[in-house]
Amino acid sequence: MTPTEPATVPAARSAAVRPPLPVKMVISGGFGVGKTTTVGSISEIEPLTTEAAITEVAAGVDDLTHTPRKTTTTVAMDFGCLTIDPTLKLYLFGTPGQERFGFMWDDIVEGAVGGLVIVDTRRLDDCYAAVDYFEHKGIPFAVAVNAFDGRVEHTLEEVRWALDVTDGVPVLVFDARERGSVRDALLVVLELALARTEG
Amino acid sequence: MADGTPPPDPSGPDAVGPASAVRPFLVTAGRVAAGGDGPSMPVETQVVATAEGLDALDRLAFERHDIVAVCRLPQSIAEIAARLRLHLNVVRVLAEDLRAAGHLTVHVPDSGVVHDASVLRRVIEGLRAVPDSRGVLSDTD
Repeated sequence: MTPTEPATVPAARSAAVRPPLPVKMVISGGFGVGKTTTVGSISEIEPLTTEAAITEVAAGVDDLTHTPRKTTTTVAMDFGCLTIDPTLKLYLFGTPGQERFGFMWDDIVEGAVGGLVIVDTRRLDDCYAAVDYFEHKGIPFAVAVNAFDGRVEHTLEEVRWALDVTDGVPVLVFDARERGSVRDALLVVLELALARTEG
Repeated sequence: MADGTPPPDPSGPDAVGPASAVRPFLVTAGRVAAGGDGPSMPVETQVVATAEGLDALDRLAFERHDIVAVCRLPQSIAEIAARLRLHLNVVRVLAEDLRAAGHLTVHVPDSGVVHDASVLRRVIEGLRAVPDSRGVLSDTD
């Protein structure tokens, strides 16, 4: 009950609240690679979880018709956000890990300015689907090797070779637990996205 | 099931059983959002309660009431779903209903943001100002 309240409340109610412009980035990679940790390190809120529907396209290995079989699966998706200023808010969505399946994240990813594919060098193949997805969608992305316990088992050149990403895709090492490290990894992706608008 | 006590008929009008989880789309009367051709309402879409919506809160029930109440401050579709433990597509359908009724405003982001250099620069500048765990700013060249 501050003295200003009676004056400000009616004004706030009559004028529509202008929401911030949302800018979306996607944090992707295999299961247990550190996506939620990454989101939590930079988010101003504890990462939230919601259920999202994804469409899995199973490769037609055991299907004589070779017709891709689509199934819709509900999966948990973690996300967080960071207010840049009252008119601009960055959202970070972690896509759940999917191994062995192609996947369609359109429901989450459509409209994203960029993506970060997190890699555990002990399980490189877990991130192929994410790399393929961003390449296919033409979304700017970087490959971020999560240095668990400060150790990386392959050089960045080996990772680049193994993932077969082009020179235009940055490959970097970061620590998902460190806010500054996550910030810098996101900045690499944003600079890439910016360069694309100017190129 | 003692003798003389008929088993409850689950289809009967007086059936009393353990409260089952409500199927998500019961609350939307079976409607689903984004019927196949991509999402109409991205997960980051911002939703805000209108003054009319807040006035009507007492007349709204269940999920509709909760959505308007949580949108006193702008919320994304994803935040609403997470905070209220609703399926994303249920929130999409109900938010559209509530918008049509004048209880909410729905701000679908302009897809051009992805290619807007001025927006990207503002995000970059804002992110650079985030201190790392030791309070050191990002190197700005």
